[in-house]
Amino acid sequence: MDSFKKKFIEEASELIDKLEVTLLELEKNPDDPTQIQQVFRVMHTLKGNSSMFGFDLIDKFTHNLETVYDLIRNNQLKLTPQVLNVTLSSVDHLKAMLDEENYDDPDFLTTHNGLIAKINQLINPDKPMEEKQRVQINENKSEEVIHSYYVFFEPRKDIFKNGTNPLYLLDELTSLGKAKVFAHFNRVPLYDQINPEQCYVYWEAIIATENEVNSINDVFIFVESDSKLEIQKVADINLLADEKFVEEITQLANVQKDIGFVTVQRLANQSIARHNKSKSEVVKRERIGYKDKSTASIRVSSDKLDGLMNLVSELVTTQARLSLFAEENSVPGLAPIVENVQKLSRQLRDIAFSIVLIPIENLFGRFQRLVRDLSQELKKDVEFITEGAETELDKTIIENLSDPLMHIIRNSLDHGIEESAIRLAQGKSSKGKIQLKAFYSGANVIIQISDDGAGIDTEIIREKAIQKGIITAERKLSKKEILDLIFLPGFSTAKKVTDVSGRGVGMDVVKKKISEIRGEVEVDSEVGEGTTITIKLPLTLSIIDGLLVSINKSAYVIPLAAIDKIYAVEKSKIYTSFNNLITLDGKQIPFFSLRKEFNLSASDEELEQVVVVNFEDNSVGMVVDFVIGEYQAVLKPLGKHYKTHDIFSGATILGDGTVALVMDTNKIIKDFAKIQVINVK
Amino acid sequence: MAKTILIVDDSESIREVVSFTLENEGYKVLIGVDGKDALKFLNGQVIDLIITDLHMPEMDGIELIKNVRKNTNYERIPILFLTTESQTAKKMEAKDAGATGWIIKPFVPAKLIAAINKVIR
Repeated sequence: MDSFKKKFIEEASELIDKLEVTLLELEKNPDDPTQIQQVFRVMHTLKGNSSMFGFDLIDKFTHNLETVYDLIRNNQLKLTPQVLNVTLSSVDHLKAMLDEENYDDPDFLTTHNGLIAKINQLINPDKPMEEKQRVQINENKSEEVIHSYYVFFEPRKDIFKNGTNPLYLLDELTSLGKAKVFAHFNRVPLYDQINPEQCYVYWEAIIATENEVNSINDVFIFVESDSKLEIQKVADINLLADEKFVEEITQLANVQKDIGFVTVQRLANQSIARHNKSKSEVVKRERIGYKDKSTASIRVSSDKLDGLMNLVSELVTTQARLSLFAEENSVPGLAPIVENVQKLSRQLRDIAFSIVLIPIENLFGRFQRLVRDLSQELKKDVEFITEGAETELDKTIIENLSDPLMHIIRNSLDHGIEESAIRLAQGKSSKGKIQLKAFYSGANVIIQISDDGAGIDTEIIREKAIQKGIITAERKLSKKEILDLIFLPGFSTAKKVTDVSGRGVGMDVVKKKISEIRGEVEVDSEVGEGTTITIKLPLTLSIIDGLLVSINKSAYVIPLAAIDKIYAVEKSKIYTSFNNLITLDGKQIPFFSLRKEFNLSASDEELEQVVVVNFEDNSVGMVVDFVIGEYQAVLKPLGKHYKTHDIFSGATILGDGTVALVMDTNKIIKDFAKIQVINVK
Repeated sequence: MAKTILIVDDSESIREVVSFTLENEGYKVLIGVDGKDALKFLNGQVIDLIITDLHMPEMDGIELIKNVRKNTNYERIPILFLTTESQTAKKMEAKDAGATGWIIKPFVPAKLIAAINKVIR
């Protein structure tokens, strides 16, 4: 930006600030004629200056505003608060107009056209605004096309005589776009024959610019009459973007005394051909790619996939045994083979898994749109946040999840999030928030939909349930039990039926669908604070990264995803603690001694290991005897008799054939914490 | 160091506009009211550019250009002259006399700066 524009902008900002101050004064005394005069004068100055410095948009805009104040000045229009509001928003907009970068912003355009319409409304309250007055800045901005030119410039020998410095001209030339300039020195005579007052050098240049050829001519305007000058267009593409062309031409310029237009044109044509080919290749590749897509996938029955998964997990187990065997028996040459088998089976496992698992991302994307459309329909301002889109789930689970999730989100939007006015009255931000979160919890994937809306009023549900004869009036129910009532068939709590939800298909369908994929739904709600619906989905057959630990010589696996840190702690610190709190790294962390919880006697070891795991937003320590190491556990479901022990999400077979239980840390902590509360009582 | 530009014109308004613009750009400006007046500045001090009108009393622009080119101290300095679109013959005459380039009147400040940038940096 040149300094004149800068100066203008500085000046204009001052004027606009002045305008703002005057307008605020005017708001206090709307009939003060001197203030009105002042507003008019400032606008007039602004208008005049902006037209001089090419700010046409400001010129036109202030022209209309000025008209308004001209009418007010002549008592043809009354200065109403409405007029002042429009003027003040215009002042804000004028500030934005000073920055030309804003002009491409669609919001800016909307504001601009909106304000022009309002101002016109003030001037001609009866006449609808003319379409013509709308400004569409981007309309005529056609795509800039880059052309490449060849420039030959040989100044007359005595060009220095009239004060010309040809290097300045070349500088100007290169400033027009991308340029490659070759200086030729072959006409420079031997040192003793040189006349330092003469110019022996001539130049060739390839310039790629979006400017017109005239602008190149303009560069040489002072010297064209006494120089050899040739300017030719060689291509309608940016040749300098073609590395091969640049390389070829540079090579030529180095060996040849000059390249010449004909050679440049030949190379340019080759480059154009390459350009077109690569362009058509892209198109072709896209087509092929499309075709590929249709043939690259095959449908396989899920039975076969299940079979494959089973075999892979057996293979991983067997491989672990092989590794162990190789460690214990040092057979020469066995170690590398074992390592290879380990590598291969890991790869095979990853591929087998990627076949059946897909990220939940696609599903989330679909909801983003749903929330946007619904919130517009319902005229609610809602922010939709997704988290954990990379969480992978079985494809069939994801497919079956779509409908229930959609229903829950609709409910949140329709019944949960309140209208902005109500939200503001309750001291919430006017914008509602719906959060969709997916994460792993032990061997499960949890999907949580939470909103910060009205929440579910348990009293209303209770009354309704009584009314519908689902429960009797005398029955006492805990909060959770009442909330669970919404999953019963034919239970719709919305006071009025809207298009979006409450069509009679209720949460019972959601629950049914989720249990079909062996999932569980839970609801938690706080009146006035919001509702959280948690869906827990199992990953019955999967492999997880875990930490192998031992308690009383039995092995257990703690999912690695849940683990934060591991500390070695003296036994005395654990057994003398009264409140099950331990200070680690300066932080107090509640802990459970797994030995104690499993009703085992204290261990003989002096040091015990505290595995700190994440539990909801907190850290909780779990005390074990030994940490053995990382372990990739093939998760197997527990047998019928152990189904009730849900603190374990499954079992895995170790390399030596023994079985290790896989802990569900969340469940374990909840479970033990419950017992403790009871114990305290 | 700021470059020094000598402006030669008999019209005060043109001198004002040009010198204001140039001073704004950070140049040091010397002012001559006609060719003869301008010659007094060629006293050995450093001048980086001369901008001169062609029609002036006492000594016109072409005469001034010739004089400058004759002066061994100043024979290489760039000289721009002010002219109008129609004066093609005059333009060639000035060019032959040794002018570096020209500025077409009327001009906006940006044009003036662009022309100056062609001959000095």
